[in-house]
Amino acid sequence: MLPFLFTLSLCCLFNALIQADGHYRERLDLTPLTPPSLLASFQFWGNSSLKSYEQQHFRYIPRSLGQSLQHSRTEELHLRFSSGRWDDEGWGAKPHQGRKEGGTGVEIWAWVKAESEADSSLYLLHGMLPREVVCTENLTPFLKLLPCKGNAGIASLLDGHKLFDASWQSMAIDVKSVCSKDEDLCSIEMEQTVDMVLDIERSKRPRHDPIPRPAHKESLLCDETKPYGTDDACFPSEERRGQSWTLAEIFGQPMQGSCLAEDQSGRVHESLYLHVPPERETIKPEHAVESKSESTSVRTYTPNATEPFDMVLSHLGPQTFNSHELPALFASRSITGHGQERGGIQTLLTNPSLTTTIEFVYFENLPWFMKPYLHTLRSRLSASSTSDPELIKDTIYRPALDRVRGTQLELAISVPANSTMILTYDFDKAILRYTEYPPDANRGFDVGPAVIKILPTTSGSRDQQPQQQPSYIRTTSLLLPLPTPDFSMPYNVIILTSTVMALAFGSIFNLLVRRFVGADEVEGWDFSYARVRIGGWVLTLRDKYLGIGFGIGIEKEKKEQ
Amino acid sequence: MKLLQLLQLPLTLLPLLTIPSTFAGTHTSNWAVLVSTSRFWFNYRHLANVLSLYRTVKRLGIPDSQIILMLPDDMACNPRNAFPGTVYNNADRALDLYGDNIEVDYRGYEVTVENFIRLLTDRLGEDVPRGKRLGSDAGSNVLVYMTGHGGNEFLKFQDAEEIGGWDLADAFEQMWEKRRYNEMLFMIDTCQANTLFQHFYSPNIIATGSSEIDQSSYSHHADNDVGVAVIDRWTYYILDFLENEVTSPTSQLTMGDLFDSYDETKIHSHPGVRWDLFPGNEARGRERLVMDFFGNVQGVEIGNETEWKEDLRRLKEIIDRARLKDGAGDAPNNTADNLVPATDRWVEEKTRRERPVEGPAQVKAGDAWDQKLLGIAALVGSASLWGGFAWYESNR
Repeated sequence: MLPFLFTLSLCCLFNALIQADGHYRERLDLTPLTPPSLLASFQFWGNSSLKSYEQQHFRYIPRSLGQSLQHSRTEELHLRFSSGRWDDEGWGAKPHQGRKEGGTGVEIWAWVKAESEADSSLYLLHGMLPREVVCTENLTPFLKLLPCKGNAGIASLLDGHKLFDASWQSMAIDVKSVCSKDEDLCSIEMEQTVDMVLDIERSKRPRHDPIPRPAHKESLLCDETKPYGTDDACFPSEERRGQSWTLAEIFGQPMQGSCLAEDQSGRVHESLYLHVPPERETIKPEHAVESKSESTSVRTYTPNATEPFDMVLSHLGPQTFNSHELPALFASRSITGHGQERGGIQTLLTNPSLTTTIEFVYFENLPWFMKPYLHTLRSRLSASSTSDPELIKDTIYRPALDRVRGTQLELAISVPANSTMILTYDFDKAILRYTEYPPDANRGFDVGPAVIKILPTTSGSRDQQPQQQPSYIRTTSLLLPLPTPDFSMPYNVIILTSTVMALAFGSIFNLLVRRFVGADEVEGWDFSYARVRIGGWVLTLRDKYLGIGFGIGIEKEKKEQ
Repeated sequence: MKLLQLLQLPLTLLPLLTIPSTFAGTHTSNWAVLVSTSRFWFNYRHLANVLSLYRTVKRLGIPDSQIILMLPDDMACNPRNAFPGTVYNNADRALDLYGDNIEVDYRGYEVTVENFIRLLTDRLGEDVPRGKRLGSDAGSNVLVYMTGHGGNEFLKFQDAEEIGGWDLADAFEQMWEKRRYNEMLFMIDTCQANTLFQHFYSPNIIATGSSEIDQSSYSHHADNDVGVAVIDRWTYYILDFLENEVTSPTSQLTMGDLFDSYDETKIHSHPGVRWDLFPGNEARGRERLVMDFFGNVQGVEIGNETEWKEDLRRLKEIIDRARLKDGAGDAPNNTADNLVPATDRWVEEKTRRERPVEGPAQVKAGDAWDQKLLGIAALVGSASLWGGFAWYESNR
């Protein structure tokens, strides 16, 4: 009886563990941008109680990631894979207030616990690989972290061929622990995000033949309002371009049902959110549930768990779009200067708001081979020609150590409304060691982007909803040409030096070991002997060519002697 | 005396231990190291070569965790690629080599000679993840495929450095010494490829290359929309064989069949095969199944040899091979199943020691007096010579 009770209690405990072991949710937001583009934003959340995570009971936090985090004593991890360029002016502010975005290439930052048990403080590690290519081999492990591995639910729409053909894309993994007020209720949260902006026309091209070809006359859309639009002339119309699409057209295949959409209480969650004005027409399959309200411009879909789901945004009806939000700040950074030694950085920071001053922290982590001069740091508004140091409220700087760490520069800046600030400084370009150059050194060296954290507006106009959380912007990464040697030169030098050395050594050695004397000074030099030898050779040769026998030749030689 | 007998015991046991023959052809796992060494877009075909092999070994059953794929550049997501996320090896574009599921272990600047040799010999730091390690053991059959631009006894890496024929040979020898392979198939597609395996001296290797010394290896054809050549000739015809003939993991085709499929009129160069390192040479090597290297087995080793005995046997083989290589022609012919009885070996060891042999010499603590006398004599002799000449000069 006792063992039975024990087993029963164990079962109950196990059940309780599973019950407490978090949940999983996924969501896809589709937002048509300036006509020919579509912003697709995939989000996957999973969580687990800290207790079961520490006991290595992995369910929605994948084991592969969980174990490496535990091994490296990482408390919080943020990993980003990005490529392409976000068009600020055309598409507005970035999704998720830029919090899910990384610099071009790969960016990682993590809070790591100290190695020793005595030191319980956390350390922030931050790194960027601006040169790193993001491709299918990065998406494969990303999908393997998901509970449905990209086979069901919204993840089935993620295809490397479409994702890496996007105008801009960013994949993110965030793991952090969240504690409520009550200390016992800590949980670990993992969020995976994929944001991409697809060019609709480009995505619709068939995969086996993505090269654009001239369209047939029948399929051309002509602008017939033009006076010269006759039968044999067509002015292409932009009006309907990219306005209608289906999921299968854009992503290559329809969505494969849903993934764990049902929660513990049996409620099925919607997984697709479409952001278009209410008057737009859409077509959905019968087995899916659509819900929309007339007041908001969002409609949601709950696909059937097993049926493939496809959706059509029709080209019929009014072709309207949601207005996009203007970004809080425009930032662009570039390299100035010329030559092999010196360069400069110029950053333009524009505050588009007509009323509020914007405050932000400008953070740069420069590689060690860029050696900035802090005394050349100048800030001015584009309207004035004199520098205005008042714009920079605070400066934090950590100089570089060669080959150990880069320069860290943090500036607290405030830019008044409707103005552009110009930030410049000079730097020196380091000369690298021969073996430190990459195989394609003449391409240049990638410098990671600057990260701008826009602080929530506390003061200023009260009528606006104050932003509670800071938002982020990243500039593009830079390509820095460094002084690059001619890599064949060392070989030329080695060869030339060796030749010179060999010549010099040879002649000096010769002079050292030989003694030069006149021929007549030599004692015991018998000229007659040399004469006999030479005579002998001549005779031998003559005999050889005149056909006289060898033996006779010798006899003759003897006679002559 | 008893102690001496006890010491001889391991040697007496040695012949007994070596009975399990290495010819049995049993291996317990398969590994593949697939390396492209060329950067830049116009070398698309080298990445396509290597990805074709990757796809083939995956198709025949080697899992991703046992394939080390080295790609020095990004072709699939290259801005010049009109087919994003895709690499093709044929102008018919029937097969997307990059696919949806690919794991690249070393990429970009990571593909260097140093990393390649470290990978083979497992000289990697502790923090290197498992995916970047070659976890093969004494029971593993390893396929090494390399492609790139090369020349007489070298292969360029990334247009910046080279690996030499001797580097490869020594790396493989270290692999053998560290018991990192059972049998190896080395394949190389580059200009003058056969020169790269001529220095190999480790056992159980079958090596094959695309072209002889002073011969180029050519590309097969180009795709007009990709804009560059998509595959090399030798690799193309190897794949042709593997795709058309080796259709399932149960295939009984042999290495002989594979090498007989070489058609020099199609390949436009003279491919080479090296059998002499393989036990039983060509006759036995030809009988090996293609699937022994391109497919996967998941065997479990059930042997009665404990590890130290195996170590002892392997160590002995290595020493004997080193002796053979150094030209000691009278060393016993030590293939594993042809051992001289231990007592005879003991005698032979003693006689060998008396003959002058190059190598480490034993330092003896000799009798001190005769050495001292010799030293004094030499000193006195030199002094008298010097004195004698001085006296002679002064008298002239």
